[in-house]
Amino acid sequence: MKSKKQKRQGDFQKIQLKVGKKKPKADNATDVSFRSKAIHLPEQLKHADSGPTTHRHLDIKDLLSKLHHINSNIKQGALVGLRELLSAQPTLIELHASAVLSEVAALFTDKDGSVRAAAVRLLRFIAQCISAERVAPFFPLLSAHLTCAMTHISEAIQEDSLRVLDVLLEHYPGLLSQRHTVLLTNFLELISQKRKAGTGQDKSGKGGFALTISTSRSITAQQWRLTVLLRLGSFLQAVVEERPLEEGVTSMIGLGMWAGEKGSVRPVDVNWEEHVFGKGRIQVFENSGAVPTPHSTYRLRPDSKAGAGMNKELCSAETVQGFAGTLVPLLLEIWVEAAGGDQVQTNSGHLLSAEAMALMFQILTILQLLRRLTPQRDQQDILDAWFRNSYLTDFKHHFMKNFPYGLLEVARHKKKADGKKIRQQVAAGTVAGGNVEPLALNVTLCQVMVTLSLRGQDHVEAEDADWLGPIRIFIRDTLSNGGKLSSKHLAALLEVVWRMIVTQRSRVVTDDLLQAVFVQYQQRNLAVNVRTLLLRFFSQLYIQEHQNHPHIARSRILARWLASLPVQLVQLGSRNPQLSAQLLETIHPAAARGNKDLLQSLQKNACCIYDPQEGCVVVLPVESQKRLVQILHFLPAFPAELLACLSQVCNTGRVSASLATMLIRTIHLRSPLSGWLSSSQDVPVKDVDYLSFFFTTLTGFSSEMLRALQDTDEDGLLPSSTLSPLSVFATTLEQFLHHWDVVEEVCHCLDTLGSHAQCFDVIQNAIIKNLCGLVVVPDCVCAAILRCVPRLLDVNFLPSDTLLHFLSDCCLSMLSLLLQLEQSARKRDAVWEACFAALSTVPRLLRLVLQSLRVCDLCEEELPVLAQILSLLLQHTQLRNHMMANASLLQHIIQDLTHFYGGETREQWLTDLLYCYSVTLSGHRANMGMRDIY
Amino acid sequence: MSAPVEVVLSADSAGQLFNCAVFDPHSGSEFLSYRGGNTSSRSLTVLSGEYILGAQLGKNFINVWEIQRKDQLQQKIVCPGIVTCLCASPDGLYVLAGIAEAVYLWEMSTGNLLAILSRHYQDVSCIRFTDDSSHFVSGGKDNLALVWNLSSVVQLDSSRTPEPRHILSRHSLPITDIHCGLMGPQARVATASLDQTVKVWEVSSGEMLLSVLFDVGIMSVTFDPCEYFLFCGGSDGNIFQVSLCSTSLSRDKTFQADSDGNQVFKGHRNLVTCLSVSMDGTLLLSGSNDETVRMWDVQSKQCIWSINHKGPVTNAVIIPAPANMFLADSHPAVPLPRFSRHLNPSEQGDGTGSGGMCLRLGANTQEPEGTYLEKSDELYSLMCAVTDKSVFGDGENTKVRVSELEEEVKTLKKINKDLYEFSTQLLTKPN
Repeated sequence: MKSKKQKRQGDFQKIQLKVGKKKPKADNATDVSFRSKAIHLPEQLKHADSGPTTHRHLDIKDLLSKLHHINSNIKQGALVGLRELLSAQPTLIELHASAVLSEVAALFTDKDGSVRAAAVRLLRFIAQCISAERVAPFFPLLSAHLTCAMTHISEAIQEDSLRVLDVLLEHYPGLLSQRHTVLLTNFLELISQKRKAGTGQDKSGKGGFALTISTSRSITAQQWRLTVLLRLGSFLQAVVEERPLEEGVTSMIGLGMWAGEKGSVRPVDVNWEEHVFGKGRIQVFENSGAVPTPHSTYRLRPDSKAGAGMNKELCSAETVQGFAGTLVPLLLEIWVEAAGGDQVQTNSGHLLSAEAMALMFQILTILQLLRRLTPQRDQQDILDAWFRNSYLTDFKHHFMKNFPYGLLEVARHKKKADGKKIRQQVAAGTVAGGNVEPLALNVTLCQVMVTLSLRGQDHVEAEDADWLGPIRIFIRDTLSNGGKLSSKHLAALLEVVWRMIVTQRSRVVTDDLLQAVFVQYQQRNLAVNVRTLLLRFFSQLYIQEHQNHPHIARSRILARWLASLPVQLVQLGSRNPQLSAQLLETIHPAAARGNKDLLQSLQKNACCIYDPQEGCVVVLPVESQKRLVQILHFLPAFPAELLACLSQVCNTGRVSASLATMLIRTIHLRSPLSGWLSSSQDVPVKDVDYLSFFFTTLTGFSSEMLRALQDTDEDGLLPSSTLSPLSVFATTLEQFLHHWDVVEEVCHCLDTLGSHAQCFDVIQNAIIKNLCGLVVVPDCVCAAILRCVPRLLDVNFLPSDTLLHFLSDCCLSMLSLLLQLEQSARKRDAVWEACFAALSTVPRLLRLVLQSLRVCDLCEEELPVLAQILSLLLQHTQLRNHMMANASLLQHIIQDLTHFYGGETREQWLTDLLYCYSVTLSGHRANMGMRDIY
Repeated sequence: MSAPVEVVLSADSAGQLFNCAVFDPHSGSEFLSYRGGNTSSRSLTVLSGEYILGAQLGKNFINVWEIQRKDQLQQKIVCPGIVTCLCASPDGLYVLAGIAEAVYLWEMSTGNLLAILSRHYQDVSCIRFTDDSSHFVSGGKDNLALVWNLSSVVQLDSSRTPEPRHILSRHSLPITDIHCGLMGPQARVATASLDQTVKVWEVSSGEMLLSVLFDVGIMSVTFDPCEYFLFCGGSDGNIFQVSLCSTSLSRDKTFQADSDGNQVFKGHRNLVTCLSVSMDGTLLLSGSNDETVRMWDVQSKQCIWSINHKGPVTNAVIIPAPANMFLADSHPAVPLPRFSRHLNPSEQGDGTGSGGMCLRLGANTQEPEGTYLEKSDELYSLMCAVTDKSVFGDGENTKVRVSELEEEVKTLKKINKDLYEFSTQLLTKPN
């Protein structure tokens, strides 16, 4: 027992604790000296086989599921991850487009700003990758979320929704513009709120909305409105631009459209040669022509209204009016506030701060776009009239009060009196699009106001004078003060000018404005696009409006401009072919219309334009050359100098042969000799000039050139000999062939003249006078003469002896040239064709040729040549009869030939000749002859 | 010999033998000729099968012949200027003349000048009507061809100048000839120009359908009635045939390749100024400045006959033979009115009232077509008529009836003659 007790005591021994001594640690005490760290698992230990992942090995499913996480950091991280994943693997976007887009869109309304920003960034990235067609099925969803964000109660989300809108506008303007019904009201609600029903209609003319002012935004109300208006502007722009263009729609009045013939039917263009050789197949009519093409706009009544059915679209005047009715009062309020805010600071109302200016510019841009929403011309007119009735007084009061506006330079506190001279850009604050030049503002204002002016009636002129006057003065000053304008501003200004000219119908106004434009036009060193713009303005004005508006037709400035065109063409030379083409595009129709000023000027400068050395007709590209040749058709008169120029143009080879042909035909048609101009009284081409032109073109060399040729000793010269009485100047193959084509046309034209005998007489005299004395003759001239004479020869007309002798010389020279020609089969063919035609057609010519072959004068080396010529003549079947007629002469020559040829062995050429001779003169008499020879 | 279905009408600018003459299209033999003056190009036209109108070359009047009185000139219509082209509408109600750069429109029933259209900038070279007279096309030396709607030209009040329906402005040199196809406002128009192209347009939309570029200027153009082929007369005397409905079967490609020469009609030596195709599309008529008129077989491209004229041929056309042409004692149904030279007839005191405009709708416009039931009724009655006659009308009865009617006609003619003489007396009597 006791031991038990002891034992128990031993179990529960009390430990004495003493002061100053540490308490010993318990045995089971936990050692807390270690330090712990958190374990991050940013990456999973997955392998790549389950699909592409981010660098954290998260695949797309993980990321998408994380988007629903409650923590905004995780959401943002997932968005960043998605962007990384998708940019690495663009194919994934296509696969998961629906999931990604719907998840991302849901985050537009996230309450955390950084998440929204990341969502927008991701959206921007996705938008770059997917085309509009691909995204179209998801677009209702996107736009629903966008609408949700735009109408969100939180203002921060509203602000960010505009970013989303920016992205969509940038990449999918077409899709977005289809949602205009919802979006336009959203825009309105962003800057305004519905009035209470009771107070809504208290002030007449104001719509049911009132501007809101919220104090809680991070930016001022003005800045906020500016951002909203900027988006609204670009949205409307998208609506306008994305609409499928209909026929006859001119987005900019006049400019940029050529005559309205851009049809939807694609015409078949066929070249005759291709058609002939079966290359171009023509199938013009659908349904074998029984049904007109669907594009046909044939209507029984010319002026029937476009039918209903476009009400849903934003292009009828009514819908636009409905929207504008609410928007315009708001815009006016904003304008007033913007203008008023500045007036506090300064006394002069026309100086504005940069911000106000940007705001105003946006307002005007939107007004402009509103008008352009209706594509049809008649609808546009309705809308204009409506604007005029409803808002003209307001516009006049607010917009024109301080026109023109200038920029207030805040930094320097320096006022400038003249607003338009201020070009300096002031770094405007934080707002995008803040930098608006005052010029742009003023020009846009003009554009908006001018559309309100009515077309045409006289009494309106006085009515509108009070506000059109300042605009006119502004435009005139801006254009004529010598400053250079950018093409954008200039285009806008020209549009205003156009509209004013067309609507006001006053000669004074027209001349005044056109003078200003002309001053601008006359400036030196304009940029090419600016120059083109001005050129187009004038040419469109002339071509399109000329007929309907006599005041334009009578404008002196336009006449002066037209008269200056040929001079410019000459001055421009070959420096800028595009500009030259543009000039010709105006000159051609003006010439065709018989504009007196232009034709006079053209006539004066014709010799320069058609100069064979450096005139436009040789230096410009082919298309322009063709136009220039066509313009010739309208020239009132062709003086001799001009014809001389043209003749050289034809022959120098700098215009193609086909073009030269066209030129010759033009001259031919303009001459009364051709018999085409039956009734005209005036004679553009005198008969003398006509004939001398054709003769010069026929020879291809002017008399000076021929004279110069007599004295030269160039390499191309083949010396004269007995067999080649003329010394032949061999031209290049190219020149020869070109001339050959020209000669063909000349012969054809001369051939169609009325009296052959007289025509031949003239040509014969010309040849005798100009060519017969020559010693050196170019080969192309010989060929041309030999070709021309037999074609023009009349059966009843006997050519003179001089001509015949010259012809026989030519013929002989050509024949001997023929034997030396190896280079080109074409040239040889041409030469032979000419010789053959002459020999077979011209009477006595063959005899003369044979007579001139005096064998006794020949040296040894020339005998083979002679034999070759003879055998050539003999070989030709058609010449055989003529040879037979001169059989005795021929026999004599051949006898001489064999006699003078002293060689022992009979050469090949002689054998050939004798064989030919025997074949030709097969028959009894020939046999007799053969016997005589041996 | 039965009267021919179609005849050839041609004129030259010399006018030595005749002004214009009528030939047989198959043999080329001359039927009739009309004397006096000569005719300028594209200005010979037949007015409702009863008159021939031709503008005098270089003078400011139009020669008129009654179609059956060949030898003598019936009338001269004096115009405000030299007439460059002339065209009568197929329904015979209107006449168009190109005078300098304006187009004059006369109404034939009254002779009033209805409109002067001056939208061309230079001389008008050619005017053509569509076959239903609803539209016309004018081409000028200013490279433009204008398509006009006749009704809009006629009906506009004087305050507004009439506008052409379409402006065809793709040619770059003067237009030489125009041809209008069939089918009224749905027709196609071919225009030929010196710019070496022929273009085919659609009247209804004003769109260009086809442009063929040649290597010579084209002086004349025509379609065959089916519009299978386009014939273009070149300034070098060739006539080019463009096939408009080529089937693109590959197996006849080789045939196409070696038949290249077959698509040109060769024979003329100078400008081919006029072309015309017969009703059945087998014959092609061409007139040229080489003073010949030739008839070609379209299929074989052979020249069938040619007639020499004494001067450049200005007009050559195949027309359906007018009924009156070979009946020497026939008379035109409507006398030709005096053509007014000024636009507003009321100012002249013609007594037409206060600017009231007479409008006649053409006979062929908007006639409601009978239903098949009506047609069959008609046919039935026609068939019955034969039997009816044999039953009810014996020979004597009809003879009596005929003689009665003849007598009535005689009396009527007499009354008419009396009336005519009385009125001429009244009118010619100097007061």
